[in-house]
Amino acid sequence: MSHESQLKNVLVQGKFAVTAECGPPKGADPEVILKKGELLRGMVDAVNVTDNQTAIVRMSSLAACGLLKTAGLDPVLQMVVRDRNRISLQSDILGASALGIRNVLCLSGDHQIFGNQPQALGVFDLDSIQFVQVVKGMRDDGVITGGDSLDHKPDMFIGAAANPFADPLRFRIVRLAKKIKAGADFIQTQCIYNLDRFETWLSMAADKGLTEKAFILGGVTPLKSAGMAKYMKNKVAGMDIPDDVIKRMEGVPKDKQREEGINICVETILRLKELSGVSGVHIMAIEWEEAVGEIVKRAGLYPRPALCRA
Amino acid sequence: MITGEQKPVREIRRMIAPYKRILVLGCGSCVAECASGGEKETAMLASALRMAARMNDEDVVIEEMTLDRQCVMEFVIQLDKSIDPYDAVLSLGCGAGVQAVADMYPEVPIIPGLNTEFLGETKAQGVWAETCLGCGDCMLYDFGGICPLARCSKQILNGPCGGSVDGKCEVNPDIPCAWQLIIDRLDKFGALDRLEEIYPPKDWSTKQGGGPRKIIREDQQK
Amino acid sequence: MIKGKRRKLALFYCQNVPESREKDRQALEEDCGDAISLFPMPCSGRVEPVHLLRALEEFADAAYVIACPEGACRNFEGNLRAKKRIERTRSIIETIGLERERVGLMVCSKENPRPLAVLAREIMNKVSSLGPSPALGPEALNDEEKGI
Repeated sequence: MSHESQLKNVLVQGKFAVTAECGPPKGADPEVILKKGELLRGMVDAVNVTDNQTAIVRMSSLAACGLLKTAGLDPVLQMVVRDRNRISLQSDILGASALGIRNVLCLSGDHQIFGNQPQALGVFDLDSIQFVQVVKGMRDDGVITGGDSLDHKPDMFIGAAANPFADPLRFRIVRLAKKIKAGADFIQTQCIYNLDRFETWLSMAADKGLTEKAFILGGVTPLKSAGMAKYMKNKVAGMDIPDDVIKRMEGVPKDKQREEGINICVETILRLKELSGVSGVHIMAIEWEEAVGEIVKRAGLYPRPALCRA
Repeated sequence: MITGEQKPVREIRRMIAPYKRILVLGCGSCVAECASGGEKETAMLASALRMAARMNDEDVVIEEMTLDRQCVMEFVIQLDKSIDPYDAVLSLGCGAGVQAVADMYPEVPIIPGLNTEFLGETKAQGVWAETCLGCGDCMLYDFGGICPLARCSKQILNGPCGGSVDGKCEVNPDIPCAWQLIIDRLDKFGALDRLEEIYPPKDWSTKQGGGPRKIIREDQQK
Repeated sequence: MIKGKRRKLALFYCQNVPESREKDRQALEEDCGDAISLFPMPCSGRVEPVHLLRALEEFADAAYVIACPEGACRNFEGNLRAKKRIERTRSIIETIGLERERVGLMVCSKENPRPLAVLAREIMNKVSSLGPSPALGPEALNDEEKGI
């Protein structure tokens, strides 16, 4: 079994990478995650596994990644700083590496008030940027916070998230630069519907040389319905869905909206492929993993490069 | 100041139910400033409790008194001459006040009438906001006088996160995004480049590292 | 055990309300007799929740405030503060199971200012339907039964 990051290999070879997101179950059944893995096998280079997303208790990302690894996939371990302190975050990095997991995405996490555990204590010992820096220190220098040495360095391809559409706009590039300076090797962005605005952000990033320093994967999410589009536009922070996208979704009958959502998604990916500075796409089709295959094929991204052997 | 809000009357009545002679004890400091436990509020609560007792045919004596401060031993000791007749004290002091009184009179049940909340400021008449966590290692200078630990919902030191909307926190639109405030403030000072540096992890040991904290000043001791 | 005689109404009124000077107060007391206890105030804004609560606790079935019309307070905001404090007092008595309507505010009309006596009567009529206050204890109820 390969213990290299397939995602890293594809990106380093200059090929357009494809990742997709998959959510662990609200239960202890390993089959759920393995089934999702099967839907994505061959369609993507790596699979992101979310970490108690929206602060709802689910099977741990680390365990789910471990399962996907045994199934021969390349997982991206998403880790939020909301639930664990630096002791346990660093410990999990070591454990993940030992399990052959080679990619980590360092995130803040949604505040605990949003999920099914609003009474929980939010930890927030480190923030996501400090966490990136910590993982880099472990990987490159073999040290943990406080300076103690590790007897075996973890091997991790380090990622961070970026939101080109969030407030405050003028600070987005500064924040991106900080994440890359801290050690992020790759960036996955929030889902893109407003390509013009994304391109503006991208060119600002390029001006700062950031697109040379880290691999940027543009995020996409296929819309399931006009209702979903409107909900995301109005209720989800940091999302920019232009009115003409809403109109497109509303313009087709309900039973055709999923198809239209996929159409928009594919078109977005085709545009992303043409942008220099974009090294890949991250498909977030939560609870709709079946759609990923179709999207990848129609976007001309199938087949994926063969698994690199160590 | 330390802020708090009165517990619901129902909860208070449940806690004082076993007692026959109760002293409602107010505090003239922080809790008076936030209108929850000062002399006025003490009088109001005592009156309401007496009426409730009468309405429920309860045989209980409820009296009131207010100390300048409940957290300072020299003020608490004034109770020496008044506490005897009572079998319980309903304290409207903050948690520190309640415990100071309890430490001084360990045989008397001291019941908290407030839910103590946060260290904060009076932003406007009738409005109090949390601004300080008491971390023991103040970094306010680095952030233009705005604390990212107390005022950012996720305690981010390299903010902002991606969740704010129109300068408001994703957790609650009444909360200004602390990082928006920090950026605006540092911008005014022409110090925005400070935020390009990665702020290192917080040393939490000054808050938690040694268990409950104590300050001892020999020059101040007898 | 209540303090002194039970009254149907404790009335705190702003002395700047038309026809509420000393002679009006005396006339009013004669008119309403024992049913009302009157408290002239320099401004309705000087009434605190504790005044109203103590009145309800010690002798009154109801406690009301008469304030000047909005915009006409000589202290600018007194009547606005009164409004808020009355609301607060109402919330407090509600938590102990006492009817909110036992506390209230009557704001004079600017266009149609009526004498204190008239306003007082109007309030009396409003609160009469509430009956004796349970906060005064069973004694008060017995008084009522006795027709006192």
